[in-house]
Amino acid sequence: MTVQKYLYRLYQEFKGEILVLPGRTVLFAGGVLLFLLPLVWNHPYLLRIVAMTCIFAIYAASWDLLSGFVGQLNLGHAIFFGTAAYTSALLNLHLGLPPWLTIPVGAFGAVLMGLLIGVPCLRLKGQYLSLATLAFPIILMGLVLLFSPVTGGELGVSGLTRLAATRLREYYVTAGLAVVLCLAMWKITDSKLGIIFHAIREDEVAARASGINTPLYKVLAFCLSGFFAGLAGGLYAHFMRIAGPSTLGVLMSFQPIIWSIFGGIATIYGAVVGVFVLFPMVEFFRMAMEIRMLLFAGVIILVLRFMPEGLVPWLIDRLERQCPRCKERSAVTRRTCRVCGTPLRVPLRRAAPPHAGGAAATERGGD
Amino acid sequence: MKRRLMTIVALVLVLAMALTITAAVGGCKRGPKGVIKVGVAGPMQFIQGQHHWLGAELAAEEINQAGGVDIGGDKYLIELVKIDTNEILSVDDAAAAIERAITVDKVDFIVGTIRTEAALAMQEVAMDHQKIFIVCGASHTQLADKVAADYDRYKYWFRVTPINVGHLVTTSMLLLQHVGQVVRDELGIQTPKVAVIIEKAVAGDPLAAAAQMVIPSFGMQVVGVWRPSPTATDMTAELTAIRNSGANIIYTYFSASAGVTYAKQWGELQIPAASVGINVEAQAKGFMDATGGFGNYEFTLNTLARIKITDKTIPFYDKFVERSGQFPTYNAGTYDAIYIWKEAAERAASLDSDDIVAEMEKTDYHAAAGRIVFDEKHDVKWGPGFVTAVGTQWQDGELVCVWPYGWQGITYEGTVEYKLPPWMLGD
Repeated sequence: MTVQKYLYRLYQEFKGEILVLPGRTVLFAGGVLLFLLPLVWNHPYLLRIVAMTCIFAIYAASWDLLSGFVGQLNLGHAIFFGTAAYTSALLNLHLGLPPWLTIPVGAFGAVLMGLLIGVPCLRLKGQYLSLATLAFPIILMGLVLLFSPVTGGELGVSGLTRLAATRLREYYVTAGLAVVLCLAMWKITDSKLGIIFHAIREDEVAARASGINTPLYKVLAFCLSGFFAGLAGGLYAHFMRIAGPSTLGVLMSFQPIIWSIFGGIATIYGAVVGVFVLFPMVEFFRMAMEIRMLLFAGVIILVLRFMPEGLVPWLIDRLERQCPRCKERSAVTRRTCRVCGTPLRVPLRRAAPPHAGGAAATERGGD
Repeated sequence: MKRRLMTIVALVLVLAMALTITAAVGGCKRGPKGVIKVGVAGPMQFIQGQHHWLGAELAAEEINQAGGVDIGGDKYLIELVKIDTNEILSVDDAAAAIERAITVDKVDFIVGTIRTEAALAMQEVAMDHQKIFIVCGASHTQLADKVAADYDRYKYWFRVTPINVGHLVTTSMLLLQHVGQVVRDELGIQTPKVAVIIEKAVAGDPLAAAAQMVIPSFGMQVVGVWRPSPTATDMTAELTAIRNSGANIIYTYFSASAGVTYAKQWGELQIPAASVGINVEAQAKGFMDATGGFGNYEFTLNTLARIKITDKTIPFYDKFVERSGQFPTYNAGTYDAIYIWKEAAERAASLDSDDIVAEMEKTDYHAAAGRIVFDEKHDVKWGPGFVTAVGTQWQDGELVCVWPYGWQGITYEGTVEYKLPPWMLGD
């Protein structure tokens, strides 16, 4: 009986939290599809692409956490990804540690890097901060090449242990972690900490005046973002079985920015959807290799021209409507707010033609 | 109206993606019996990938015209599958491209690749699927070391070209010694002075260190090391300093466009020092035009030249030039790689990778680039009697082979004598 009650309560929660909003329902369905995909289509190439997408989804969401929510525009996010990739790779290769250990340790390496970057960058704002962050992966790349006997120089560290024994297992590890970690990031942004992050982004002076220790929270944001990006970096190293200088490259830094802006910045799920659309799409464009990047750029420009807030906010605006009174969102099909009952569809009255004279003025409540 | 248009565009895109993924993944059945699919992997937007493809195309055409590959009495035609790895820009893209070729296009084996970091990632994918992967471009020893470290996993990997990076450096030093001897003989300078000019790139760092350490043991004196940018558009300062150093020889390493700048200004300023080493730009047919005619007497390490290294060299060279209007680079070694695989498969009378690997290990094939035999790490053997590489010099606007010229008793038919620049001889 208790189990039945518990299940019923779970169903009610699910209904009230997920099914009540089309956006959440679609994301939930996407998550379910992610786990069902191998049952329908167990193809190594397809699983590789989706697994890579999952890894990059974590990475893009981690950028959104720092730059989208806290407003610390990081142009060198690859520093976290590359640090963790190299740390995991070196620990695996030289100490023989298994991936389940090297990946979190690598992520803590990225957290340390977050501290190293966060502290000196505390006084920097706007484009100055962005330029400073851009420099860090370049510095680390220089160190990687300088200490090539350890780091493998331009070849990187290769021959790493596979993430899991089979492609199917690798897929489930990456998909499972992507879901859990992206949800964790979303919960962080939805918590009290998320509100503080929002406040810092919107007006740092006002946040400080309200008693928020903004330097502490900014460093915390660097570390949190570094941790998640680091997990993605470690997963990447073991999935590819190589950690090379490309993990610190400019392309690796710019990709999460493109994905996040395309999907919708400061949402977490926007960055995730951005990766799930763009990464397979680039792979799909492989059949027109000569114009692949042109097509890619064309799609980005078109989407951002017509959906300046990003793909996901645009879609959500069409699926859901915000209550003018309580600001909660409801499905677009509802006539009243699901929380406070305020009418969502206020019938618009067309202005009466001029010849209607005083009658129209009376209807409009004129003087 | 705008919204409807966007909806239609989105629907069409989604439908097209779904249809193509279905076609790509669902329709991935093996080709009709009698076809062997060869994956040609390389950055196809760059000259390296284009040479991979051209070399493979020539081999496939010749083999198919001759009746195809004979596997235990059954004839198979070669079908090439272009794998644009985009490896110069993205390592994960390269690995995905290889996996797609293996699992979707169902290639039987793979030739090509150029960038070692990407080649290492691609090597892992190919080994996962136990597909034979013949490298024709990446030179690092780390790829071959894996075969020695874990033979059962990496035995499907082979390298046909170029000779590995260690041998490349050794050969470039042999070219330097050759020029040193000519300087001694013709100018009477017993201890030639050598200026080392190596582009400021990662690959050049160990070479710069090695050059300073090794050159004195050749009875030569190093007068300085210069490191211009790989994209330098002016080297007057470096060349003037080299002239003032009193150098008789310039040992070079240029992998990019700076090689053209250097050679042009070296000839224009008539620097009284013979130029020798590695200048990738000087291997290209358009080098003389690019240097405005000042590139004469530039001497560089090369893989192929229009000489009789074997009976196959000149016919292949001429066909390649006729087809592309370019001189074949080492990436065109896909031509030899496909022939080596064909011979091994025919000897094995099987399409099973393990059987073919066993036969490939016994390879002793006279290819366009020389006699190809694999060592225990599946790397191409270098040395007298095997692949030696060649030294080519621009003489009177023509690229000619000048090395080996008596080295270990080897002088390939068609090789001519090395010439010092006339301005060094006071002509």
